[in-house]
Amino acid sequence: MTLINALIGLAVLLVATVALGIFVQWRQGRPRRHIPHEVIEPTRLGADTLGETATLLQFSTELCARCPGVHRTLAAVADGREGVSHLDIDVTHRPDIAKHFHVLQTPTTLVLDRHGVVQTRFGGAPNREVLELELARLSGETAHV
Amino acid sequence: MSEGTDASGTGASAQPKGIDPRGPRFAASITAVLLMIAVFLGLTGLSTATDSSGWAISSASLAERASDPGFIALLIIALLFLWSVVSPRTAPWGALFRSVIAPRLSPPTEREDPRPPRFAQGVGLFVTTLGLILHLLGVPWALPIAAAFAFVAAFLNAAFGFCLGCQMYLLLQRTGLVGRERPAAI
Repeated sequence: MTLINALIGLAVLLVATVALGIFVQWRQGRPRRHIPHEVIEPTRLGADTLGETATLLQFSTELCARCPGVHRTLAAVADGREGVSHLDIDVTHRPDIAKHFHVLQTPTTLVLDRHGVVQTRFGGAPNREVLELELARLSGETAHV
Repeated sequence: MSEGTDASGTGASAQPKGIDPRGPRFAASITAVLLMIAVFLGLTGLSTATDSSGWAISSASLAERASDPGFIALLIIALLFLWSVVSPRTAPWGALFRSVIAPRLSPPTEREDPRPPRFAQGVGLFVTTLGLILHLLGVPWALPIAAAFAFVAAFLNAAFGFCLGCQMYLLLQRTGLVGRERPAAI
């Protein structure tokens, strides 16, 4: 291969990698709605109850660099709001749970409403502002009911 | 991933557990540059060369394949990966980070588990070794493609802090390839 072609190849590789990184970053932290609705029973996950307004259900693994940081963020968000609780499930040794919730990356965060219905899903580290907005939406809904 | 190494029994390192997360990212950026060089040498070397009878690598001897600059570059990178897997504390880029870079930075705001970066080094070792073996077997393009995959992973880690190893661990575990503990049969 000639030098020019090799350099073009390198440039393509670099641009493709940067594009992939930007895409991944853009997709993470963006909430996904319209997920098949499922009611989650807290006992199945080893918790007693769900939050009165909402529950932040986080899935982590042992080998996950970002999970502790997300755990702190979610715990702080849950503490700052009445009726919101935070559950962190380690799925390292529970591939059955990971499979059931289609967890392909950690951290993955589900926002449950007060009935345990999955409202929103975040793959990767959730954006805190978006998360607050989701919770405000959920508590607003509860107020109207 | 062996349970004995950092199970609660040791307790000697009670103070801030974990490593500075900027260390692995620093190492990944050096690795990414090295892999870029390996991709370049792979593209310009024997791996993609053609002659009158087709791929040049098919007719090359084993010694010729092993002395290709791209092969040597990727071999060095693979050995560095191996070093980081076997002994992460003494691996050169981590040691460089701790001795030269870290003292000039503010102390880390958070620390991370050293196992994810180590697992990622293992993935890098696997990919590069695969490329090296295929190259020795005379497969054209194996070298630059393997180096390119490793480059993508290293670059995403260095530039975006995206942990490909985490994702892979979970995927592999779901297929049952890693993670010895299955849920107890109920």
